[in-house]
Amino acid sequence: MRVSVTEYLDIELPARRWICNRCNTDLGPADRSYKEGCLIANRNPREVHPVIGTDEHFNFSFDPEWIRLVEFYCPGCGTMVETEYLPPGHPLTWDIQLDLDAFERRHMSEPGRASLEDQR
Amino acid sequence: MGDLMGNIRLHDGFVYDRHAYELAPGRDPELLAGGIEPPSDLELKGMEALSAVELEVFQHKITSIVEEAREVYMALSISEGIITGDMNTSVFTAEGDPAVVATGIFFHTLLNYPQVKYILKYYRDDPTVGLHDGDVYFFNDPTCGGVHTFDMFVSAPIFHNDVLIGWAEVGGHQGECGSMSPGGFSPTATTRWEEGLHVGALRIGDNWELRQDILDFFLNSVRNPFVFASDLKARVATCKRIRDRVLREVERRGEAEVAGGLRKILAVSADLAMQRISQLNDGVYRSVIFNDGVGLESGLIRLPTTVVKEGDRLTVINQGVSPENNMGPQHCTWHLMRASMGVYLFTYFFRGLAPNIGLLEPIRTLVEGPSVANCGAEVAHGEGTTISAMNVQNLHVIGSKMLFDSPFKLSVSAPFSRNVMIYVYAGINSYGYRAANFTGTQNLAGQGARFDMDGEHASGFYWASVTDSGEVEESDMRLPMVTLARVIDKDIHGFGKFRGGTPSVEISAAPVSGCDLTTRGASDRLSHNPGIFGGYSGPPNPRFVVKKVDVFSQLSQRTDEVELSQYSLAKEHPLSGEYQFSYSSQPTEHFDYGDLFVHGVGGGGGYGDVLERDPDDVMDDLRENVISFDVARNVYRVVFDQDTLTVDGPGTQAERELARKERLKRGKPFAEFIAEWQKLRPSDDKLLYYGDWPEPNAPGYSKPFWGLFS
Repeated sequence: MRVSVTEYLDIELPARRWICNRCNTDLGPADRSYKEGCLIANRNPREVHPVIGTDEHFNFSFDPEWIRLVEFYCPGCGTMVETEYLPPGHPLTWDIQLDLDAFERRHMSEPGRASLEDQR
Repeated sequence: MGDLMGNIRLHDGFVYDRHAYELAPGRDPELLAGGIEPPSDLELKGMEALSAVELEVFQHKITSIVEEAREVYMALSISEGIITGDMNTSVFTAEGDPAVVATGIFFHTLLNYPQVKYILKYYRDDPTVGLHDGDVYFFNDPTCGGVHTFDMFVSAPIFHNDVLIGWAEVGGHQGECGSMSPGGFSPTATTRWEEGLHVGALRIGDNWELRQDILDFFLNSVRNPFVFASDLKARVATCKRIRDRVLREVERRGEAEVAGGLRKILAVSADLAMQRISQLNDGVYRSVIFNDGVGLESGLIRLPTTVVKEGDRLTVINQGVSPENNMGPQHCTWHLMRASMGVYLFTYFFRGLAPNIGLLEPIRTLVEGPSVANCGAEVAHGEGTTISAMNVQNLHVIGSKMLFDSPFKLSVSAPFSRNVMIYVYAGINSYGYRAANFTGTQNLAGQGARFDMDGEHASGFYWASVTDSGEVEESDMRLPMVTLARVIDKDIHGFGKFRGGTPSVEISAAPVSGCDLTTRGASDRLSHNPGIFGGYSGPPNPRFVVKKVDVFSQLSQRTDEVELSQYSLAKEHPLSGEYQFSYSSQPTEHFDYGDLFVHGVGGGGGYGDVLERDPDDVMDDLRENVISFDVARNVYRVVFDQDTLTVDGPGTQAERELARKERLKRGKPFAEFIAEWQKLRPSDDKLLYYGDWPEPNAPGYSKPFWGLFS
């Protein structure tokens, strides 16, 4: 059984694994962060956010000395499953840390609850 | 996992569930941090008598009363904030809990009641003060339960045959309050003593008549006495309208049913909130956001949010917050951190439920203090909303992650724009009186992208999605500036599978007599508008003005077309003048005739991977002039004909496959990434006000994820 937890990430039950729902790549155990199963890039945000104007620091784009763009890619298909904007070197965010026992109880024991496959 | 809160370790030496300041004349933190008061005997009698259906009818009636009052208040006022909806009108329970609120500003729904509780606790039985039918009270002190000194409120008890049934309360963003900068916002204030009037709870009228001595005191304390007096009377008149309407309901239903009905509304709301929370996945959810200034100076500030969801309860924790500083007004109070959450919760998370303080009953609020998020009483508080909004943005990201796998997926979205920039104009207006305030452009921010569609352009005000942007012709009359254009601008929103909404940017100029300008803001080099699920953030939003430009003369002499947009002005400098891009917190400065102001409030974040955006939608973005050719090509990786805006399908598919290959080549496995990443650190000059790096209150922290203390 697969449950969509984000736009791109499912959790496989009862195996409790993160799965990319675009290409079915296994991104690791669900009791850890899916980010540990991603490829991660540290980018200059100005590669994405256009500089508007002539000032070096104040130009409607990010100052790369203050903030970096961290992109998380599925290693199977290259889908960008999440982004973070962090000062250089700041720890990443373990954003979704589910109570997997409760999650499994809810999804595998609730009568009539549609699985992801059913919804598709 | 089980016992999720048991795994959370709070730091020693801080307070979390209350304010970082103590009892003082006019304020009682216990009244601020307490929950809904227990029902009185009268209320219990009424609660029992009201069936579920009757309660619905009653709630509808009281809602219609405050909605009517909202229209009355806006129609009677002459301040920009009130006219455009930065306000609220309310009925409180007899014990002072806000039961039914028309708004405006969602956090007003959850504030401005502690002063009423203070009156009940300290003044009602005090023979020098007392409490009587027709009393009118004023308050604006942020440490006593308000927002900032320029949000001003009036309340009045609703008595029937000497029985206290409830309270009428009316107020909003008045602006000028005698602070060091005209118009309220004082970005360089460092103590509360520079922020003008501080009134905890003051009886300003008896029998619905204002006391002249007190009115004179107020009018002699502010720069715009005409506006102040006019709007104060509007608040009092609106309060009286609410009181009269509620008394009609008392005459129809009796005292117990009305008093008990108000209290039962809160009890039912609490139950509904718990029912909704119980349908979400248990777990620990986190989000973090940063600011790049403190007021007087630039500097990194951190505001992390952890939400623990267990059963039908939420605990919202702000731990590891940057410490209090004495360098500006960006300090928040515990109660404002809590109340501000209503902006997200009421609009999205609890969508469909009546907004009132009952919805917060199942939510525990833990804010580390003293810190910028739970500060002491002496620092300046005027921009506490900058800090509380950072928490709200985190909460929005977290909420979307909680709601995705739930029956409430419709609310999944990236946050609304909160790259705040406020231009406060001061001077003599076209009517000839002194005015100091901002324009309705505040209310034209971009919405965050939603899970199934783009965010709306120029959608509303961050704090209040139902505000209006006002009429520029009217604001030109009321404020000392002239609006030249409002433009849905280019490359100023978050990109994604669904893009964020773009703001409307206001281009305006100083009139013949010139004017003073104070600017306040945040997120000049970074952003408070995160994307979600791979969407990009809305971009930063610094201050942008052009001096020595005399725009009126230049425009009258030019024969070619001059595009007045932020993008065009910043990129091409089409008018001669001094183009200034800067940090947004700036003290009051005089601008001469024809100087130009460029003012927007930022675009919403994007949703999902840019490579999944429909190429035809990218062409629509180009047609609407909200993105540049560069973004279409280099971010969305669409191949198209620039003249016809026709998509090359196979070419786009190949280009996007190439983009994915580039990602796989650029990305590094977790361990390799962390090994390199942890060697990085912002330069020391950026960390002056941050606290210990990277965890402000945990020296030596070296984990790959923040917030893990065990």
